Amino acid sequence: MKKAILALTFITTTLVGFAQKKTTTSAIVTFDATTAIDALPKAENKTVIAAIDPAKGTVQFEATIKNFAFSNPMIQDHFNGKNWMNSDEYPTAVFNGTITNLSAVDFKKDGKYTANVEGTLSIRGKESKVSTPAVIVVKGGAINATAEFSIKLADYSIDGAPIQAGKVAKEPKITVSADLK
Amino acid sequence: MFNKTWKKILFGGFVLLLTGAGIYWYIATDTFSDTKGRKAEYSVKADDFLKEYQTDSKNANLKYTEKIVEVSGIVSATEAADSSINIKIADTTSGSYVIFAFQDKDMNEARSVKPGDLVTIKGSCSGGVYSSILETWAITFKRSTLSNKP
Repeated sequence: MKKAILALTFITTTLVGFAQKKTTTSAIVTFDATTAIDALPKAENKTVIAAIDPAKGTVQFEATIKNFAFSNPMIQDHFNGKNWMNSDEYPTAVFNGTITNLSAVDFKKDGKYTANVEGTLSIRGKESKVSTPAVIVVKGGAINATAEFSIKLADYSIDGAPIQAGKVAKEPKITVSADLK
Repeated sequence: MFNKTWKKILFGGFVLLLTGAGIYWYIATDTFSDTKGRKAEYSVKADDFLKEYQTDSKNANLKYTEKIVEVSGIVSATEAADSSINIKIADTTSGSYVIFAFQDKDMNEARSVKPGDLVTIKGSCSGGVYSSILETWAITFKRSTLSNKP
């Protein structure tokens, strides 16, 4: 009887754990728009909210724009300014997507999987489709997810003299890393 | 006469070029100063700080965003973010929280903090947003440093 109760408890806990959305408030997103002539437009945000629903395969990220930390104060000001991220009006960048090959990722079993993630990235009120492979590592119920992709600034109506002059990359590299529990 | 004028023009141009290069060098190599040495514009208790955002986020953001703010409260969690660590102070009732990302130079100090510790942390406030994922208020800080060691 005791064994049956223990087994039932274990199964229930495992199933509930699997069904639960895994989240973090400390995902890292880096933005790298450096070029051969300017190494300054590069920043990191270490307090990004992220969630993965293993059952549904949904993937969500929410980054406070003003928490992207640049080394250079002037570049950080420009980044948040009206012509760029306009962070006073649009304080967050939001990604909502799904894992399109969910059957290839076994969230119940420890291992390393490649997930194909597709979704919509919303920046300064403009939405654009993003599609990227992501590496998912499952270990002891926790999930580590990493991805690297580029965005086109023009898709978000971001333009200006520094971009035209080649001081800011037209297609910055974005990297994402999240430990979800 | 002709040579004298040209010499003046060339000298003026050279001075302008040097000044321009100096200004560019200053701007390009400028970095944020160490938060530890900066004076906090506001010192608040975490509970009161969170309440301000929950009751009037617009004014709270106008008041605190991009300011150096010192927050005191009990640590609810420390979260690893790659090789670095974030410290979180949360309101247990609403789930709203303040989270601090630290300066690289102060990362070891941050690592010594444990949940339950009473801390005072100073950092650059990036403002608060209502998270549609977590359905709580999230107030984020960058370039933070510990004002007191627990």
